[in-house]
Amino acid sequence: MKARVSEPWVEAPLQRFADEARVTFALLLQPSGQVLGQFGFTRAMDVMAACSLAAAINVTAAQLGRELDGTPFRELHHAGRERELFIAEANTARGPLVLLAAFGDESSLGLVRLYFRELCTALANAAPAVAPAPSAAGRVDLGENLERDLDHSLAILFGRARPDPEGMLSVPSSIPPA
Amino acid sequence: MPLVNYATREITCKIVYYGPGRSGKTTNLHYIYEQVPSARRGKMVSLATQTDRTLFFDFLPLDLGTISGFSTRFQLYTVPGQVYYQATRKLVLQGADGVVFVADSQARQLEENIESMQDLHANLAEHGMDVRATPLVIQYNKQDLPRELILGVDVLDDALNFRDVPAFTADALHGHGVFETLRGISELVLRRLSGSAGGSGAGAASRGAAPGAAPGAAPGAAPGAAPEAVPEAVPEAAPGAARRHSRDAVGSA
Repeated sequence: MKARVSEPWVEAPLQRFADEARVTFALLLQPSGQVLGQFGFTRAMDVMAACSLAAAINVTAAQLGRELDGTPFRELHHAGRERELFIAEANTARGPLVLLAAFGDESSLGLVRLYFRELCTALANAAPAVAPAPSAAGRVDLGENLERDLDHSLAILFGRARPDPEGMLSVPSSIPPA
Repeated sequence: MPLVNYATREITCKIVYYGPGRSGKTTNLHYIYEQVPSARRGKMVSLATQTDRTLFFDFLPLDLGTISGFSTRFQLYTVPGQVYYQATRKLVLQGADGVVFVADSQARQLEENIESMQDLHANLAEHGMDVRATPLVIQYNKQDLPRELILGVDVLDDALNFRDVPAFTADALHGHGVFETLRGISELVLRRLSGSAGGSGAGAASRGAAPGAAPGAAPGAAPGAAPEAVPEAVPEAAPGAARRHSRDAVGSA
C-alpha cells in the first residue's frame, strides 16, 4: 500500500515508517489538524475526522503535561483489544508535526517507537524551511471567478442548484427554502 | 494558514465557530450536516457531554468542490461556549483560517456575547494571530424569537461589531442564515488566501439575502440582492441578511 501525501517531502519518510513499523494506519498532520500524509485510510473524510481527533488528543495531552508535570506530554500509547494507538510529535523546520499510528499483532510498540525515531530524523532532514509557493508572490491565485465559483459550489452543496452536463449551473424553478 | 497542495491543486481550510454557550454553534453544524449530501461531507464528530453540550469540539469536514481550479475542503469546528472551557477553546482555535462568531440575539445574553468576543480576541492574540487580519464574520442567531426577547441588529452591531465585519442574521435551528454565514466566511478566507482580501470582498460583505430570496441561486448573482439593495434598517430584515455599516469602522482591518 502506498502512502498518500499533500506535500511531497513527507512521502518517503512516511512510506518507510509505515512499511518498516508494519502499522495498519498512519497519519501525519499539523498540530492544527491539517493532514500532510496518510497510509492505510480509504476515505478522505475519515482521514479528516481522525486528524481532528489526533490533533485534539495531542494538544490536550501536551497541555495536561504542562499542568501536571511542568513539561508537555509528547508521546501517547493506548493498547486496545485488537489495535494499539501511538501518537507522538516530531519537530521539523516546518514546525512540529503529529504522527498517529495504529497497529495490530504484526507490530509492537517497541517497533513503532524505533521507527518513529527514524521518522523524526527523516522528516527533520527532508523538511523545507518554508512552505512551497507556486508564484513569486507566494499567493494562490484564485482569480476573478472566485465569487462565481464559490456561489456555484455552495449552491450545489446545499441542494439549491445542480450542475448540468456542460458544467453550467442549473437552478430549479422552485427553490426550496433554507 | 490554509493547507495548499499545489501539485494536486487542493486547498484545506479550518473554520472555527466561536461564541457563548447555547448560542447555536453546534446547531449551525448540524444544519449543514443535514443539508449536505453524504458524499460531500465526512462524519460529524461531536465531543459532547451526556446532555449534548459541547465538551471539546464538534467537527465537520466539507468538500466544497472545485473553486477557481482548486479542489477545496473546509474543516468546520465549534468550540465549547461555557466560560469554564476557556482552555479548550484556545486549543481548538489553534491554526484557524477563519472564525464565525455566533452571537445569541437574546437581550439577556448580551453580556455573555461581549465576554465571548473579548475571549476570542484574547485567544487569537495568544496564538499570535492579528485579530484585525483574521477573517471573521458574525452571525446574530435566534432572530426568530419574539421581538421583545431579542436585540435589534443595530444594538448587536454596536456591542459586538466594532470591526465592521460582515454580519448575518440567522435562525440556525431552521437553517435561515446558516448558508449565508458559511458563504460569507468562505469568501473571506479564500480571498485572504488569494491575497485580495478587502478588494471585491467588500462588495461581497455587503450583500445580503432579501426576504425569501434564494442565496446562491445563480452563479455570479448576489444571494438575493445587490450590495446597494441592502437596506440600512436591517432589524426588519429576514434571517440571513448581511449588513455592513456605512460609518467608518473603528479599528477596521
